[in-house]
Amino acid sequence: MLEIRNICAGYGKREIAHNISFTVRGGEILTFIGQNGSGKSTLLKTIAGQIPPLSGEMLIDGVNTAGINRSELAKLVSAMLTDRPKTDMMTCRDVVETGRYPYTGTFGLLGDDDRKAVADAMEMTDSSELADCFFTEISDGQKQRIMLARAVCREPKILLLDEPTSFLDIHYKLTFLEMLDRLRREKDIAVVMSLHETELAEKISDTVLLLKNGYCTGIGKPSELLDRKTLTEHFDISGELYEKYHG
Amino acid sequence: MKKRIFLSFALLLVLTGVFIVFSISAGSADISPDEVVRILLGGASDDTSEMILLKIRLPRTFAAAVLGGALALSGYMLQTYFHNPIAGPFVLGISSGARLTVAVALILAARGAIVLNSAVMAAVAFAGALAAMSAVLLMSSKIRSMSLLVVCGVMIGYICTAITDIIVNFADDSDIVNLRGWSVGTFSGFKTESLVVCAVIIFAALAAVFFMSKPISAYQLGESYAVDMGVNIKAVRIAMILLSSLLSGCVAAFAGPVTFVGIAVPFLIKMLFGTAKPIVMIPACFLGGGVFCIISDMIARTVISPSELGISTVTSVLGAPVVLMIMLRKNKERVRD
Repeated sequence: MLEIRNICAGYGKREIAHNISFTVRGGEILTFIGQNGSGKSTLLKTIAGQIPPLSGEMLIDGVNTAGINRSELAKLVSAMLTDRPKTDMMTCRDVVETGRYPYTGTFGLLGDDDRKAVADAMEMTDSSELADCFFTEISDGQKQRIMLARAVCREPKILLLDEPTSFLDIHYKLTFLEMLDRLRREKDIAVVMSLHETELAEKISDTVLLLKNGYCTGIGKPSELLDRKTLTEHFDISGELYEKYHG
Repeated sequence: MKKRIFLSFALLLVLTGVFIVFSISAGSADISPDEVVRILLGGASDDTSEMILLKIRLPRTFAAAVLGGALALSGYMLQTYFHNPIAGPFVLGISSGARLTVAVALILAARGAIVLNSAVMAAVAFAGALAAMSAVLLMSSKIRSMSLLVVCGVMIGYICTAITDIIVNFADDSDIVNLRGWSVGTFSGFKTESLVVCAVIIFAALAAVFFMSKPISAYQLGESYAVDMGVNIKAVRIAMILLSSLLSGCVAAFAGPVTFVGIAVPFLIKMLFGTAKPIVMIPACFLGGGVFCIISDMIARTVISPSELGISTVTSVLGAPVVLMIMLRKNKERVRD
């Protein structure tokens, strides 16, 4: 279970997300919904440990993460990031194997457990047949599957995804979310992600958190929050425009 | 995959052995390879041959192997650090920084009639390399483009070289004697003491780098990934900077400028082994740099024998085309993206 208590996130003196609190249980999905620049990525980066929080606390199963060392924390939290990994001459299997890093020894060599976790994650993300392909030579949709396998083979308690479905076509979007849905149930992982597609967020999320200019403007069940009125207000669009293209 | 790595290591080891013997038997005094092997194994031979072999050629070949390895390893780390395949100790001006401080130290020592010992030389070179590296780092925080960073490094190199030239020109004739051979780059004339100091520093650095192969592999993926994997990125960065400066400073102090080895060798090794994994690349680059420099040194002292070419003349002819290949390949990748 992940608890975020009054987290303020940003870079140096520039605070971007203010006073955010929420809780996600194992097996649940919480989705950030907000415009570009609303603070979704900054918040995810802070939870992922990429940038230090300006204030507030984060607890995993009741333990404050400030007291957990880096490599132990990496075993608990795994992130699928938007940066492209630099994968010079790496096969897809090599890329997935990097997910096991916190568990390997001095020289980073994989044991049988590690290899099994990697094979299982690739199986689960339907990417086993890509194992020996070079990562640079596969499609964007396949890359996302490999990166999901990389994040999952660590067997984390918390999985963070920053706009995992951008750049994917509708086929890959839906199969990706289907995979995620199965994963969190089977592995009891707490998932926090950001999505631009509100209609997909509504279907897959247990909880949505509306973010506007860095403030939480609503948190709750998607069916209660993602109605026409809230959405038009939240995204600053007129009802007319909404009807014409989205309604 | 495993088989290819194993075979490539075997090939490198065989090449190292073969070229050590060739290198030792090549030169103006005629000593045949089988006589070389006999002398090396402690068999009887005539005294002049043995003298030439053990006092001149063997130290020189050893210097080429160890310093060449250091250069290639330093280049590999800089390329990894900057995520740039054409970064290297020479193009980033780090070698030139080291040479500048060493030249100043040598001249000051000559004035005061002090003889600098090798450990002090190495320390002075390390300081110079670090200073140049800091300048490059300062610029890299302002410049996002990797090719611009290399241009800046080249400029730092030019500035350091120019200042070195000026200092050397104003120095007394007697001071310069020590500097002449050193300013074109050579593996010859190593005193046993310098060789021991170099070897100790370089092998210690090699071991340290090898033990860092796990965090380096994480750093290779990109910084955010390294953080995700639980790596203390600041510590890794500092260690990489210190170790690569130490290695390239050491070479610059004792052999002078040796160009292109740091860029060409890691690339060739990566192509040979078919992988960029640090745990393979680190020992392989070291071996490869050694072979590359033994061959270059052999060419330098045999083609216009009894005179000699500067070592950089040879390494440039062999290495620069490889650098061109890297850039063309990089360009092709960008087009494909």
